[in-house]
Amino acid sequence: MATTQLPLADDLYLAAHDSARGRCLLTPATLGLGLAAALLGELVFWRRLELADNQITLLDDRPTPEPATSAVLEQLLRESHHRQIRDWIAFLATGVATELVERRLARIGLVRREEKRGLLGTKVRFVPTDPALAAWPGTRIRIAATRGELLDGPDLVLTGLVLATGLDQHVLVTLEARERDHLFDQLRRRLPAPLHHLVGHAEAAVGDAVMARRA
Amino acid sequence: MSRTSTPARPSQLSTALARDRLGVAAVVFFVMSAAAPLTVVAGVVPTGLAVTGLTAISIAFLAVALVLAVFSVGYVAMARHIANAGAFYAYVARGIGRPFGVGAAWVALLAYNSFQIASYGGFGAIATPLIADWFGVELPWWGIALAAWALVAVLGVRDVAVNGKVLATLLVAEIVLVVVFSFADILTPDFAASSAPLNPGSLAGTGAGALLVMAVTGFVGFEQSVVFSEESRDPRRTVPRATYIAVALIAVLYAFSAWAMISAAGADPVARAGAEGPELFFNLASDRLGGTALHLGHALFLTSLIAAMISFHNIIARYTFSLGREGVLPRAFGRTVPATGAPKNGSLAQSALGLTAILVYALAGWDPLVQLFFWGGTTGGIGVLLLITVTSGAVLGYFGRHPHGEDAWHRIGAPVLGTLLLIVVTYLALTNIAVLFGVAPGSTPTWAVPLAYAVLTAAGAGWALILRRTRPRVYEGIGLGARSAGTGFSRTTTLEAHQ
Repeated sequence: MATTQLPLADDLYLAAHDSARGRCLLTPATLGLGLAAALLGELVFWRRLELADNQITLLDDRPTPEPATSAVLEQLLRESHHRQIRDWIAFLATGVATELVERRLARIGLVRREEKRGLLGTKVRFVPTDPALAAWPGTRIRIAATRGELLDGPDLVLTGLVLATGLDQHVLVTLEARERDHLFDQLRRRLPAPLHHLVGHAEAAVGDAVMARRA
Repeated sequence: MSRTSTPARPSQLSTALARDRLGVAAVVFFVMSAAAPLTVVAGVVPTGLAVTGLTAISIAFLAVALVLAVFSVGYVAMARHIANAGAFYAYVARGIGRPFGVGAAWVALLAYNSFQIASYGGFGAIATPLIADWFGVELPWWGIALAAWALVAVLGVRDVAVNGKVLATLLVAEIVLVVVFSFADILTPDFAASSAPLNPGSLAGTGAGALLVMAVTGFVGFEQSVVFSEESRDPRRTVPRATYIAVALIAVLYAFSAWAMISAAGADPVARAGAEGPELFFNLASDRLGGTALHLGHALFLTSLIAAMISFHNIIARYTFSLGREGVLPRAFGRTVPATGAPKNGSLAQSALGLTAILVYALAGWDPLVQLFFWGGTTGGIGVLLLITVTSGAVLGYFGRHPHGEDAWHRIGAPVLGTLLLIVVTYLALTNIAVLFGVAPGSTPTWAVPLAYAVLTAAGAGWALILRRTRPRVYEGIGLGARSAGTGFSRTTTLEAHQ
């Protein structure tokens, strides 16, 4: 799956960062929820998980060829009594997902660690190294919408998570109503039910975080 | 991740989630900063004394605390079973029916907005003489109110978590100040322990309803504890404990300080409250404490009002957000500022309403202290009292249909007792409404306020029935908040297929 584009969660991470200044466009909590859902989505594409009725079912316990999703899968295997999708999104969003994705992106040199000394100690953050590459996931969705092209599975989930996290206010803001409708229509007709379910959970988690003043 | 791969450890998932959850103290802090103790003690109590002429306020605080504690038993129990537990209308939607749920949501929006707008008036009226005293500048009350409004409007769309720590610090300072000033009252030469504030007989006399609504107004904010039902360390203990502790602390603090204030105010506390207004609280204690304490007290009074404004603004913005997510209000209200997580359009709408109210009062030349601060607070107090009463009934309705997981006291005993007590309080409040507003029976506020709530309830119920016919998926999701199937992503991508 990762031949023509980055893994889903990496794309979301880049879409969530201002490509020019490297600043994160989301709160850490919302970014974490989005990335958590994205990693679970990747495992669905790797055919390791099935999602239905708010539950995760393991289909295949072999590690994936890639360490971030393998780490999540390993954790899922270890905690076999926890199978609620919302629990896993919440757990991975505590920093686990963000760390895994940052590490994965740093390994291929797409982000670099930056330390900023402030009054209250040193702040570590990861910033995209190449603005053009960082802007690509968002651009790809916009191009597909403008040209009326079909998105592939991971990009459909990416679009869903862009909407669920509120990133559409940055990523999709330039689209015309007709182009948006084209995207929504694709999501409605082509996003498989389990992944639709996953994005719905991510969106509910983002909303709950706002209500509980955690966002 | 890789360093955490040692097997046979307690569930990492549970541990990680528990670490992020709130304990009793955090919830108590949150609830009490919405209650804004100094605003109530120095603002509501003296103004209430002056407007209503009633002194039995301490016993009213204690009585209301008791009623709210009984109400809370079923309320916090139901919070464990439903989504969107922070909003009264969610209880009403699930316990009585979706149409009344939407009615309750409209009522809640008016009630909380009344508090919010009231605090702008209070801030303007109270800060005007202080600024003249401190800086020698005479500013109109509305100028100062607009400055406070601007601050709240900006904070409303920015990060909320940062404000939390500031609010907690101010809250502790406020409580310490109320306690110190109240002890100073006791040490004044004029102090004569008065039995009037504690006279239980007055709760049966004329004006009892007015006293009770004033007391309810002081507790508003306690209902927010359940926002954290799913975020708390132990859902069965944390939120209930925090709620009871907050109600008890608020009750003792208010009852004691009101008693000390009235006892120290000499033979005619009502006349002094009328002449001195909110200054009464500070004047009484400053004899003993001196000028520095007085200035500090004034400064904290202003920050307390700002804290109340921020709290109510956040409550309103989140009510609007949750209704927007459900599709009951336009979907745009379900949006947040991505970088801060603040409910953007709900916040902006509240700010627009606040601005309008300040300008209308300024242009009409109405009194900001009595007609805005006290009347607004009272209007909000009546609204919240109505909401609590209906919610108490909803708890009964809900557990009647879903009796699992709670014992008879939580399901039936406390909710029945609470509902009966609340119906009595509501009855007294509505029959004493003229005393409460300090106006002649039959004048505008006495019918306009109940009518407004009745119209909103009917309009909300009507809107829900329209939704049932035209957008059944939205109707199904009423009360579910962020978890409604009709929220943003799902709504754009599935719901519209039905339309």
